[in-house]
Amino acid sequence: MSTKYVGEKVTKVDACKKVTGEAKYTEDLVNDFSDLLHIRVLRTPHPHAYLREINLEPAREVAGVVEVFTAADFPELKEFGLIIKDQPVLVGIDQKMRYLGDALALVVAETDAAALQGRDRIELEIEELEVVDNPLRSMEQGCIQIHEDHEIEVTHYLDPEMCCDNILSDNYLDKGDVEKGFAEADLIVEREYQTQFVEQLPLQVEKGIADYDEESGEIIIWAASQWLHDTQADIAQAMGISKDKIRIKQPVIGGAFGKKEDISVHIHLALAARELKRPVQLIYNREESMIAQSKRHPQIIRHKTGVSSEGKLTAWQTKMIMDTGAYASSGPAVVRNAMFHCTGPYQVPNVRAACYAVYTNNTYCGAMRGFGATQMAFAYDSQMDVIARELEIDPADFRMRNAYQPGSTTPGGEKLELGVNVRETIARARRLSGWQEGDNNA
Amino acid sequence: MFGFGYGEGFPDHSIASVEPAGEGRILIRTSAADVGQGVQTVAVQIASEVLKLDPEHFEIVEGDTHTTQNAGSSSATRQTYFTGHAVKEAAEDLLGNIYHYASQEFTTNHPEMGTRDGRIFSHVNSDDEMTIWELKDRLANRGIELKGRGTFFPRTYKPDPETGQSEKVYVGYSYHTQVVEVVVDTVTGQVTVEKAYSAIDAGKAINPAGVEGQVEGGTAQGLGMALMEEQIIEEGRTLNPDMSRYLVPTAVDVPEVETVIVENEDTDGPFGAKGIGEPAMIATAPAIINAIYDAIGVRFYQLPVTPEKIKAALEQN
Repeated sequence: MSTKYVGEKVTKVDACKKVTGEAKYTEDLVNDFSDLLHIRVLRTPHPHAYLREINLEPAREVAGVVEVFTAADFPELKEFGLIIKDQPVLVGIDQKMRYLGDALALVVAETDAAALQGRDRIELEIEELEVVDNPLRSMEQGCIQIHEDHEIEVTHYLDPEMCCDNILSDNYLDKGDVEKGFAEADLIVEREYQTQFVEQLPLQVEKGIADYDEESGEIIIWAASQWLHDTQADIAQAMGISKDKIRIKQPVIGGAFGKKEDISVHIHLALAARELKRPVQLIYNREESMIAQSKRHPQIIRHKTGVSSEGKLTAWQTKMIMDTGAYASSGPAVVRNAMFHCTGPYQVPNVRAACYAVYTNNTYCGAMRGFGATQMAFAYDSQMDVIARELEIDPADFRMRNAYQPGSTTPGGEKLELGVNVRETIARARRLSGWQEGDNNA
Repeated sequence: MFGFGYGEGFPDHSIASVEPAGEGRILIRTSAADVGQGVQTVAVQIASEVLKLDPEHFEIVEGDTHTTQNAGSSSATRQTYFTGHAVKEAAEDLLGNIYHYASQEFTTNHPEMGTRDGRIFSHVNSDDEMTIWELKDRLANRGIELKGRGTFFPRTYKPDPETGQSEKVYVGYSYHTQVVEVVVDTVTGQVTVEKAYSAIDAGKAINPAGVEGQVEGGTAQGLGMALMEEQIIEEGRTLNPDMSRYLVPTAVDVPEVETVIVENEDTDGPFGAKGIGEPAMIATAPAIINAIYDAIGVRFYQLPVTPEKIKAALEQN
């Protein structure tokens, strides 16, 4: 198709403003207010404990502290979350803290220094529980339950043998006949792969400003979000107010990579602005951002792969256990995205998979570039390399022999028709890199 | 490989509008978050193409829940496809309205008219000419607003809960093959990624510089995941919550990336485009781990593969 603008290296429309400093990030908008109050959030001292008592008086005595809010001030608050609502806005007395990022109190002050001082003076009494920091421990019979007070709706729990107390979601694939596929194989390779907690690390950490319009009853929030309308809906449902009372204005965003899918500063800002009828700001530092906001899910992936001596895949079985941390966030979707990508771009007639997202007391995990498929790609393309070496076939040839072509079916049973260009990308990358030519379509 | 869009039967859509504003300006209204990936530029290029009008005439209104409608998230490699579609439909709707109302002014019909560079003209009578903004003002006097609106809302399919099977899991698939060259220092365990070669299937690159940028950034992020990045959490407590102890690649760690874009325009995306944001990253970590094996004959099964792990493995051999 002949086009004039599409397909051209047009200069990014926001480049000039970003280079000159004209672009307004949240930290620039702060200068538009003369009477901003500062919020600091008291977070949990222990990753798994009951909050038994909280003494706010020492914080209130700090000069400049305007107000200290806890869950007791907002009995109407509901929990929030992207897919299931399991995350408290504030942990109340006799409620549970489940990771180090849970919020216990909001200290609002005329200056940041006063808010910080107030925050550090709050006295707590907690009852410590076992910290579950490993998804394998979390799946053991008799392990302490992390969300005993939530009914989790996304699970199927098809395996009656399994202890499901801490399983957020279990997911299954069954295509063809995997036993038959392994029986046909000349070589079966079984390996286990593990990935780590990764921080998305956008340059800009979580920041926001909120103001309250007394006339309209509207709360206006300036804070970055990857999905304005979803963030708006989640704030509104958590606060029990109608959606049109929450107005979010998107400042220029300083990077996200998945980390700005989740609620961060938003509800705390909205509550404080409404209660105090003054503009407020809440700005995390890097440490707070890394501890309180989502991570890339660590996955333990076991692949068992059957292949013929000619190098054709016959069967693929995957078991994956994913640490979703203390809250669900995107977890129920990430685990499924990983599962549907378990064989990568390779045609396998017989596939079986069981993939689990498991709660622990680690920092919760959520969206990050690749959304589960990045971890899975490390595992399936390592597995392909292991097999190619065992069969003594050139690894690029081995991939070429098994790569999708029009008419191939995915592990999810979808027949691929449009734009199945994986073989072309293998051939082009090979040529570009000067990879030694082998037999492309054995 | 990456299946893009939310998939799995999850409702997925984007709404946009394209509206002539003050003289020489056209507003694109979308709430699609530009997190640096360039969706605003993609939206402008698509509207430019449909309306045959240079990009500098377009402005994106700032995201605001009360003045824009839902575009879905900037995630799932979906904005070029979803918001690209919505903006294309909105621009086409505006173009349709321009032809409809201008044909009334010219007393002619669509096939005898054209528009370019903001001018609307008749092929039959050269006196019949006006700008988009003149048309907008004339319509405003009649109480008519000149704008275009587009929604993209493809059908999605829910998989069977026990077998995961469905007719269509994702709206489309993007493919990316990357070859990397690494050097492993067997004394220090240090891995240097010297060069990366990428072939990425974009369907049609709306902005080739944007695609190359995504591949370069994705390579950097994939390199971090393969070799250095790890938030260490023990007993629920993060041991390295700062950038002095959480290591990410810097400019000196990132290799030169050579990219070819495979463009067969063979998708049902706007102008044949696919999303490439996430697939741009996912090839890198396995490529590096496989290249390390090729270099030193040691297979690593746990990320990240730090110099300490490489030294320990070499000492064991």
